[in-house]
Amino acid sequence: MIRNRKKETRMKSVRLMLVMLLISSLLLAACSSKSEQKSTGASGKAGTSNQVVLSVEVFDRGNSPSGYTISDNYWTRWVQDNFGTPNNIKMKYVPVPRSEEVEKLNVLMASGGDVPDIVFTYDSSTFYRYAMQGGLTDLSGLVDEHAPNLKSFLGEDVLNYGKLEGKQYAIPAKRANIGKYSSFIRKDWLDKLSLPVPETTDELYTALKAFKEKDPGETGGKVIPLGMTIAPAQYEPLIWSFIKETTEEEKYTLTQQIGSRDYPVLLPGFKDALQFMNKLYNEKLMSIDFGLDKDKNKLVEDISTGKIGFFSEDDINIYYQDGSYETLQANVDGAELIAVDVYTNEKGEHPKPEYAPIGLYIMIPKSSERAVEALKYLDWMASGDVLFNMQNGIEGENYTLKDGIPLALENPSEEAKNRMYNAGDMTIITNGQQLGSPEKNREARALQFPPKYQDEVRAAMKVSNTDTIPPVLMDKPIEAQTKYGTTLLDKFHEFIVKTTTAKPEQFDTVFEGAMNDYMTSGGQAILDERIKVYNEMKAK
Amino acid sequence: MKFTRYLGRYWQLYALLLLPITYFFIFRYGPMYGIQIAFKDFNFFQGINGSKWIGLEAFREVFGMKDFYKTLRNTLMLNFLDLLVSFPAPLILAIMLYELRSAWFRKLSQTILYIPHFISWVIIGGIVYQVFGTQSGMINNVITAMGFQEIPFLTDKNTWLITYLAVGVWQSAGWGTIIYLAALTGINKELFEAAEVDGATRMRRIWHITLPGIKPTIVTLLIINLGHMISIGFERPYIIGNTMVRDYSDVLSTFVYRIGLESGQYTLATVVGLFQAVVGLIFVLGANYASKKLAGEGIL
Amino acid sequence: MRAQISGRVFDILNATFLGVVVLICLAPFLHILAISLSSSRPIMSGEVSLIPVGLNFEAYKQVFSDSSMIRALGFTVLLTVTHTVLCMLMTVAAAYPLTQKKLKGRQGFMFIIVITMFFSGGIIPEYILVRNLHLLDTMWALILPGLINPFYLIILNSFFNNIPDSLSESAELDGSSHFRTLLSIVLPLSLPVIATLSLFYAVGRWNGFTDTLLYITSPELYPMQLKLYQMIQNNMITELMQMEGAVMNVLQPESLKAASVMFATVPILLVYPWLQRYFVNGVMIGAVKG
Repeated sequence: MIRNRKKETRMKSVRLMLVMLLISSLLLAACSSKSEQKSTGASGKAGTSNQVVLSVEVFDRGNSPSGYTISDNYWTRWVQDNFGTPNNIKMKYVPVPRSEEVEKLNVLMASGGDVPDIVFTYDSSTFYRYAMQGGLTDLSGLVDEHAPNLKSFLGEDVLNYGKLEGKQYAIPAKRANIGKYSSFIRKDWLDKLSLPVPETTDELYTALKAFKEKDPGETGGKVIPLGMTIAPAQYEPLIWSFIKETTEEEKYTLTQQIGSRDYPVLLPGFKDALQFMNKLYNEKLMSIDFGLDKDKNKLVEDISTGKIGFFSEDDINIYYQDGSYETLQANVDGAELIAVDVYTNEKGEHPKPEYAPIGLYIMIPKSSERAVEALKYLDWMASGDVLFNMQNGIEGENYTLKDGIPLALENPSEEAKNRMYNAGDMTIITNGQQLGSPEKNREARALQFPPKYQDEVRAAMKVSNTDTIPPVLMDKPIEAQTKYGTTLLDKFHEFIVKTTTAKPEQFDTVFEGAMNDYMTSGGQAILDERIKVYNEMKAK
Repeated sequence: MKFTRYLGRYWQLYALLLLPITYFFIFRYGPMYGIQIAFKDFNFFQGINGSKWIGLEAFREVFGMKDFYKTLRNTLMLNFLDLLVSFPAPLILAIMLYELRSAWFRKLSQTILYIPHFISWVIIGGIVYQVFGTQSGMINNVITAMGFQEIPFLTDKNTWLITYLAVGVWQSAGWGTIIYLAALTGINKELFEAAEVDGATRMRRIWHITLPGIKPTIVTLLIINLGHMISIGFERPYIIGNTMVRDYSDVLSTFVYRIGLESGQYTLATVVGLFQAVVGLIFVLGANYASKKLAGEGIL
Repeated sequence: MRAQISGRVFDILNATFLGVVVLICLAPFLHILAISLSSSRPIMSGEVSLIPVGLNFEAYKQVFSDSSMIRALGFTVLLTVTHTVLCMLMTVAAAYPLTQKKLKGRQGFMFIIVITMFFSGGIIPEYILVRNLHLLDTMWALILPGLINPFYLIILNSFFNNIPDSLSESAELDGSSHFRTLLSIVLPLSLPVIATLSLFYAVGRWNGFTDTLLYITSPELYPMQLKLYQMIQNNMITELMQMEGAVMNVLQPESLKAASVMFATVPILLVYPWLQRYFVNGVMIGAVKG
């Protein structure tokens, strides 16, 4: 009996050991099978008459239609056939999740291996950091030698954004449309109250007051005369219109660049802007919870339900199909929004920021041995009608030409539609449709919208391109901006929200407190460094 | 002789431990050389080993940042409040479920209570805004309809604390009950029957039988919780927090996110992580020691 | 008698309170369900709360006709099951010896494990490790690094400790080996906690996606949650889209997002009701008597 049990025990323990063995062999198998794959792959490649591999980063948004993957789709095959194979280059696309691009790129860079030959980012701080830490190839000579088409396509201005201390560490993409913001007002409300379309800040204030008191939209007291959020598109046009005329020196030294934007915290007039916001808030003319709305969700909802009378926004955002304007018109009979340019500065202009003329920073890591091929690839993309084809697809299937401007077909076949899903992410040297002139680019953009809104899109884009303020470009990166940027952006938003929501009599105290907090959190460091760099620039 | 006899009796236990300990050494201790980033001026392209040593300079920098102290204070405050509110919540809920007479209602409630754990924070963020918003939040709609002043659940830092705790309890309490329900199955039912014969009230039964029955589980979870007093999840304060309440909602994890991932200062982020680890380890060892003294139970 | 009445009152209060809590927990889920079944205009206008407005099944049609979605679901199931089984085997294998008071070096092992609850190397060395083991872009990159969660190990430990020593001692006297005691006495008595921890591991893997962002590049190895995350994130960054000068078809309708959330959440929600069968009261007592 006892012996029997012992035997059974041993059986059981043997079985358990077997399970453990199985697990460990599974693990080992997993490791070894992968490594075998790798090694055979490498030797296989070496066999085919010294074809080289060029690996290129590609944004993955997880929206590949069935039949395609982000690294194998219509355009990757097209590139292979038209550029890769003729040049004896094997194209390899390395997906990077769009929302995690910087993080993943950091890990790839820091771990040494697997870094693609062409990488890119929208984040200027990341570009500066990589360049300063010596991780990027200096492309100055290579561009001249291997990429004449690219050079003439981008132009000196754009290329300058990729230069640090005279070295071309990145190739910035060229932006097709540099206009940012327009403002919009409910025309039907104005008409109902027999008010003129406002053209200045004062007239706007009158209109907002009237919206509040007379509630022309019959919202039952829920009217929000001015739709506000804590996103730049809503507060920047207002704030910048209060900024007074600045000397060149002030512009260089007092501007605070955070991320890709210039912030006017230290410029004369900033306090007046906040004072005005404070007044609007305390007179209940502005969204109460604006400090919570960083994704604009509430704003979109309030526009769509007809509660908002006036707001500023990215010029084209409300015109998308099923967007806020279309929803508004479905919800409220006769609702009409028109693009207006109201915020006025002391000179009677309507200033607002514009984009830098660039998009992505395209970089070639120092570890890459394919810098020449990489430039050839970018140059090829800029040559002939390659870019046009990649951005528009096939004539007759995806678009037709109208006065030399491609007009996307309204009902393309499923196949044709799917073909274009990643076209924007493949054409890394440009940001938006490039047709040779800003006017044509704008027209092409308007044509992408539902026909009933195209005229209004044109009007909004006209506003967004009027009296614009270009970003200030320094000779070399301001390290403090890279270092404190994220913290300061938070502090800046706190600044706006705290001063705006303060009781009027406490405004000055709150303003000083917030300013102090901002300056000690890195604002002062940026200011000091900018003064230093400016003096160096002058000394040259 | 003694040794071989010991091995003869215990070799199986060591065999069982072989793979787990190997795992810990490869996957947990293997990457720990990364901790040296805290003492180096980390350069992406020189890698961890190639970067320059800077000694304690980064520690000096972190300990000199006023945001560090603010976020440290907030972390401790929010965690302490959580310990008071969110820690007992699943325990109470579990006992209530256990006391339910109707088996089908118990099963149904259990299943529904843990749903919030599966809703991602991005979505919770949107819902919180709709429910607690000042202007047109659901709760405030009711409050204003009854003629009262609206309550700034999200925008006043003190009321925000209530919102933060409420969302935390809502999101995690049901999930937390599962472990207690598992522990409750270990209680001897006969004890209840005896208590019923004695005419003990429900509350007395809960106090004298149920709670002692799951004491080891409570103590274990409490010790682990204390060990994590200084670390805090990123998403809850980040998503529920906002610009208006940053004085309270800014915590160590959001601080690290800012300086580490977004600004690329891995050295500073590692310093904060190392600080949290050391303090956490001290806390958990202390709690374990105290618990062994007081309750005769610990995790080590 | 009085005790009985107060008991009744307790029952009623208890059930009512739980009923309310259940409703609060269910509401957001119903909200997402309602959105997934509504049309776009009412969603955008904020009209949808718990009941669909403009009822339609378009979003679900789209989800179920997306083959990559179905494949992701299949892969996630495979991944989750493999992960859970391996994790439980390893956790049990680690926890059981560490409850044996007579085991030499027990405290040392425990300390080694507890340290890892607090100290870690950070993502860069972890990535390098996974790469050097040639696990990148394989399912194992998502399984092996998280094989044992020290927190769960400690919980399992405390449950094992709770099993009366008399049981294992009597088994030992019978000449039973440790393996046998573990398999025939300890594990059967621990079914509720084994079920619980399996659920924890499974849910953790099912919902986790941050490691996939780093380790996985092949779309056929995308788990469900990664697809979901990308879908939700893509809509979060409207401002980025503007910066990118993107074309409009990047935007996905809210109802599709909600339907995908349901699609990814419901399967894992069903695991717990199924596991509840292992939450049987009094297993241990029966064993003592037997």
